[in-house]
Amino acid sequence: MKPLLHSFSMFVRQIFKDSMLAVICISTVLSAVLIRFGIPRLELFLCSRFDRISILADYYLLFDLLLALLAPYMLCFASSMMMLTEYDEEITGYLAVTPVGKQGYILSRLVFPSVIAFVVSAVFLHWFSLTVWPIGWLVLASALSCAVSTALALLLFSLSHNRVEGMAVGKLSGLVMLGLAVPFFLPASIAYLFAPLPSFWLAKLCITRNLLFLFPSLSCTLIWLWSLSWKFSRKIR
Amino acid sequence: MKIRALLIGDIRFQFKYGFYLLYLLFTVIYVSLLYLLPGAWKKPAAVLMIFSDPAAMGLYFMGAIVLFEKSERVLSSLAVSPIKPTEYVAAKLLSIALIAVLVALGIGLGGGVLSAPFSFVTGVFLGSCLFSSVGVILAANIASLNQFIVATIPAELVMNLPALAYLFGWRPAWLLVHPSVCMIELLENGTLSLPAAGILTVWTLLAVWFAVRVMEKSLRHLGGVRL
Repeated sequence: MKPLLHSFSMFVRQIFKDSMLAVICISTVLSAVLIRFGIPRLELFLCSRFDRISILADYYLLFDLLLALLAPYMLCFASSMMMLTEYDEEITGYLAVTPVGKQGYILSRLVFPSVIAFVVSAVFLHWFSLTVWPIGWLVLASALSCAVSTALALLLFSLSHNRVEGMAVGKLSGLVMLGLAVPFFLPASIAYLFAPLPSFWLAKLCITRNLLFLFPSLSCTLIWLWSLSWKFSRKIR
Repeated sequence: MKIRALLIGDIRFQFKYGFYLLYLLFTVIYVSLLYLLPGAWKKPAAVLMIFSDPAAMGLYFMGAIVLFEKSERVLSSLAVSPIKPTEYVAAKLLSIALIAVLVALGIGLGGGVLSAPFSFVTGVFLGSCLFSSVGVILAANIASLNQFIVATIPAELVMNLPALAYLFGWRPAWLLVHPSVCMIELLENGTLSLPAAGILTVWTLLAVWFAVRVMEKSLRHLGGVRL
């Protein structure tokens, strides 16, 4: 356990040194405050301006889902950027043969940050959400958000051979988040084209609040995690 | 001749690491999104897409490119070669501007919003060189990708906020001194395109000059010693 904690503290120290930790904290809090207090005011302004009953209110749940995903995504993105730097500088290989080991490396760089992100996501969803979240659904949405973000971090690290490709895949990974908006804007016949995206099922599950959608949501996320973990393990071998 | 070789090298590098493929995919996605939007929204949406992505790609990718070259000792080799920092920076800027212009034309033509090609291409080309120069300035002295991402945030805020305000209707004439606003004006082929082109050229030249100076200093201090 001690090597693991040491490796994790290395990660925290590095993102603290890069000011990334401060940026994640400030931007997450700012976004949460903006969503909680800015969006309803903007809705009032838009409704009075365009003489409509509601404009943004129908999408409050989408803002909540973005809020749930924000902290995990940012933390996992910072983590994958650091892993890429370590891989480019050949530190990863050395860490894998120290007492930290391969599993320890995965735990300290992906699992620990995800667990922290889960707590942050749940707390933010509880305090700053625009819609009502029963505790069970709140935990479920935060847990799935963390799993999706971990899958994106794995995607970023596994599919890129160096930092340059990492940034390109990072840009591409943003598209995976598009799945969140799909059920809100596209008709069902077209929306299911986005079924391979775990974010699509996360949104679908939270819109319908039907546990039947938990199965495709979990399956899709686990398939992403499993296949990318396999690639990840091969890469740091 | 040296700049030609550097330029070809950079284009090959960007092709190898998937920039062309990635931006082909993004062009298809952006054009598809434009088709889904109502007619009145198409032009401002296309301008926003071009301004925030292909034109600004240099700022996003420059940190990774420079750090990668540092780790591969490319910069160390260049530092002792007869290549000048001006040529190095020019090759980076032109190679990225090439992708930016191609993608912007793809989005403009595909979305059916391209009315004045000369003003449009000028805006994208100068804007891309400006963003890439800022990327070079920030990337020259950083040690990690996270550091670069953090460093780009204030630059992005300064560059993007006035342009977004202008795009969404806040248009006092004095705002045209801002380079990003000039870029929006050129992409829209507005009535002030000509002064916008002049102002943007001045800003771009200044940024390129500063990027060359910073890179010159960085190359001279490679490996912790003064070369």
